[in-house]
Amino acid sequence: MKQAGVLLGTAGIMSMVPMGTRASAWAAGSDAPELKEVKVGFIPLTDCASVVIASVMKFDEKYGIKIIPSKEASWAAVRDKLVNGELHASHVLYGLIYGVQLGIGGQQKDMSVLMTLSNNGQAITLSNQLKDKGVTTGAALKKLVDSEKRDYTFAQTFPTGTHAMWLYYWLAANDINPLSDVKTITVPPPQMVANMRVGNMDGFCVGEPWNNRAIYDKIGFTATTTQDIWKDHPEKVLGSTAEFAQKYPNTARALIMAILDASKYIDDMANRHKVAEIIADKAYVNCPVDVIDQRFEGKYEDGLGKKWNDPNYMKFCSDGAVNFPYLSDGMWFLTQHKRWGLLKTDPDYLAVAKKINQIELYKQAASQVKVSIPKNVMRTSKLMDGTVWDGKDPKKYAASFKVKA
Amino acid sequence: MKKILIIDDVRDRAAWLKASLELADFDVVGVLEWEQVDECSIQAASADVIIVDANAPGRDTLEQISLMSTTLEKPVVVLGARNDQHSIQQAMRAGVSAYVAHTVQGEDLSGIIEVAAARFAEHKRLRDELKEAKGQLVERKLVDQAKAILMTDHGYSEPDAYKRMRSMAMSKGKRIVEIAEAIILAKELSV
Repeated sequence: MKQAGVLLGTAGIMSMVPMGTRASAWAAGSDAPELKEVKVGFIPLTDCASVVIASVMKFDEKYGIKIIPSKEASWAAVRDKLVNGELHASHVLYGLIYGVQLGIGGQQKDMSVLMTLSNNGQAITLSNQLKDKGVTTGAALKKLVDSEKRDYTFAQTFPTGTHAMWLYYWLAANDINPLSDVKTITVPPPQMVANMRVGNMDGFCVGEPWNNRAIYDKIGFTATTTQDIWKDHPEKVLGSTAEFAQKYPNTARALIMAILDASKYIDDMANRHKVAEIIADKAYVNCPVDVIDQRFEGKYEDGLGKKWNDPNYMKFCSDGAVNFPYLSDGMWFLTQHKRWGLLKTDPDYLAVAKKINQIELYKQAASQVKVSIPKNVMRTSKLMDGTVWDGKDPKKYAASFKVKA
Repeated sequence: MKKILIIDDVRDRAAWLKASLELADFDVVGVLEWEQVDECSIQAASADVIIVDANAPGRDTLEQISLMSTTLEKPVVVLGARNDQHSIQQAMRAGVSAYVAHTVQGEDLSGIIEVAAARFAEHKRLRDELKEAKGQLVERKLVDQAKAILMTDHGYSEPDAYKRMRSMAMSKGKRIVEIAEAIILAKELSV
């Protein structure tokens, strides 16, 4: 009911706006969600919280939809189910959506990023065997890889995904070529710790709680957090097919609004413990609350004796700074796909990002729930090696790296 | 003859699938468990088609192997998603076609998918039946227990105890087993 009032107000203002501008907004009175039930996939990771909370705390009902969270076993399954319509939307790796758009390793399909779900909160864990060899930093790892020849194995979670890109970036920044100096494999997140325990791998990059779990289980330590690779980096997005966003724009907006509400709720630190308790459940992340809770609240230890309060812990909203689908964020993944040979030629970076990231849809939703919208569709970030990414010359940026495929 | 590799942790299902495919004149070159999956084992099998369960977590591992390998012939992954024709087609459009190798013809593929999907479905049906049978056994025990409570505490005869529960279930719109659970719970509370 409250919604209707807001929209009437919008209609009043809209009648004074010229037609051309109006075309990009939606007509008042016809904003009822086309689909009431929305199946949203997620993978058991701490950063699935906003999808889960939007459903569990019924933020979805406020906008006339019902989110049906669907726990998925692999990113490949998430991709397939998005493409064939079994899922309407999903908590998904940023780079995966871009990979599908460009047909990397599979069928091409036009995809959409409806919003960014989270920043930060992943990490690179190295095994205690490496620690015993005196390796606690990237520089020391480089020395060992050069001096002691054997197969070094590192795992990430999906070939085009975020963890692959953080891991490759970090190794390369330490002058280790992830494709030729070491072996990289893909392992499902919940199986990372078990694989390291049996000695199958020297390191991995994955989302929480699995890095903290490795410390808790005394098999590894955190060599770096991903926020130390790129402060406030984009991580998971709410992804769908382009078809979904076009066919069901009202549902998509309602979904964004519900998840924005949930994101605000999670970012209130007073609520974090409660959220950790909810997502720890078997139906969601299926991990002890303690293991999730520490890093979720910014309390870090690295497994080497260092403890700190990280100001750049996993963020879900930051008044929309997290959620705005910046074109520069999307393009960054393309530059890395190109860097590592997943793309053979330079795509039209800006055109692809504009097509995928649903900025208009997001803006409409964010303005309804009073979340700030940044003025610029690009943002400037400085990464661990000092390089600056501002989205201005992606082709040049992609070609600028010394260590590459 | 198309060479097929099966990756499945459910052993009996994998065995059935192998037998069925061989009966349909396909050459099953290997059966692996997910733990054994790496670039070497996949290469060694040199299969035209790889059949996996759509819901196996290890699928991401396979993604990396097929994407990063330059020497490996791209494998076809057949998803044993569901058994109806509609979702088989969906699986083909989505996951399966994602890996289609040029050497595999459409006809071969649909034949393989049909055999695989039928086998996956049959396995699921048998498992569901077993689960249902087990469930029924549990339910019968609960009903018997509730009947005993009504008989000892309230002096019902056995047929009357059952009738009482049945009429209560009907008037409340619940299943008899739910009424039985309530009776048992009430008894536990009163003790």
